[in-house]
Amino acid sequence: MNIFVNEQVLTIPVDCNIEQLLLLLESPLKGSAVAVNQHIISRSKWAEYTLNEGDQISLFQAIAGG
Amino acid sequence: MLFNKMQSSDPLVIADKIFTSRLFTGTGKFNDQQTMIAALEASQSELVTMALKRIDMEHKDDDILAPLIKNGMNLLPNTSGARNAKEAIFAAQLAREALQTNWIKLEIHPDPKYLLPDPIETLKAAEFLARDGFVVLPYVHADPVLCKHLEAAGCAAVMPLGAPIGSNKGLKTIDFLQIIIEQANIPVIVDAGIGSPSHAALAMELGADAVLVNTAMAVAGDPVLMSEAFAKAVQAGRQAYLAGLAGQVSHAVASSPLTAFLQAG
Repeated sequence: MNIFVNEQVLTIPVDCNIEQLLLLLESPLKGSAVAVNQHIISRSKWAEYTLNEGDQISLFQAIAGG
Repeated sequence: MLFNKMQSSDPLVIADKIFTSRLFTGTGKFNDQQTMIAALEASQSELVTMALKRIDMEHKDDDILAPLIKNGMNLLPNTSGARNAKEAIFAAQLAREALQTNWIKLEIHPDPKYLLPDPIETLKAAEFLARDGFVVLPYVHADPVLCKHLEAAGCAAVMPLGAPIGSNKGLKTIDFLQIIIEQANIPVIVDAGIGSPSHAALAMELGADAVLVNTAMAVAGDPVLMSEAFAKAVQAGRQAYLAGLAGQVSHAVASSPLTAFLQAG
């Protein structure tokens, strides 16, 4: 199925959850934050939050800054 | 040795954390991560700022977090990039998830040229975030009235600017910083514009509780050496403040006894 990650289309397996998505993207779990359809999903819910076709995922990461 | 003794007996307390160093640092603009870590170590800083960014799937950024956590740094995520209270609140909530901290440097600067903080949106966001359980450190103009409003809103500290971010111009707002320091019941951290160790020392002599420095260290010829210089300047400035500066007068006051012996004989 297709989802959008930071506006880019991505094909992922059905029943993929957020934690699996981050592993798929090789994104570090620490220092990341995820919003699905503009709702922030708490880290503790990542493994149980199953993504749906067409979901808009916003993926954020800590970077250097002042 | 004296410095160490002074530091340990003069801690800075913000919310639930105790700091022995009064120099806070940013992590931006360093040439590479190795230099950044070495500079932060030399600065003895215990609180570092960082930003949050929507990941560019094509060009991923380095993992900055791991080495900072390894060095035992306290993290202060910022809301840089937010143009209004709504965006800043969203950024703060994301940062809390990403970094697992409720500390937030609230900065809302809609104008990219001067990056001056929007006082109205900042106050709105601060009120919301403080109620939501955040430890809020807002970046603001050196506006004493605004700082009192932010204190009443429940902010843990205020971070008035000395000059625009990255300008290295020093304490252009000095008269207003003095009023803020005089009136505040929460820590005052001078942020932005500090371009040299002497600027940092001056802020501390005025009675600021801490300073936040980034650009002046990161883009120095030798960032590690400069960070060490800043650490010393902040300690010296604080020590001078605690010692009580001698007052200024407009005429000379002799430091040696004025005897008549040169004219004598």
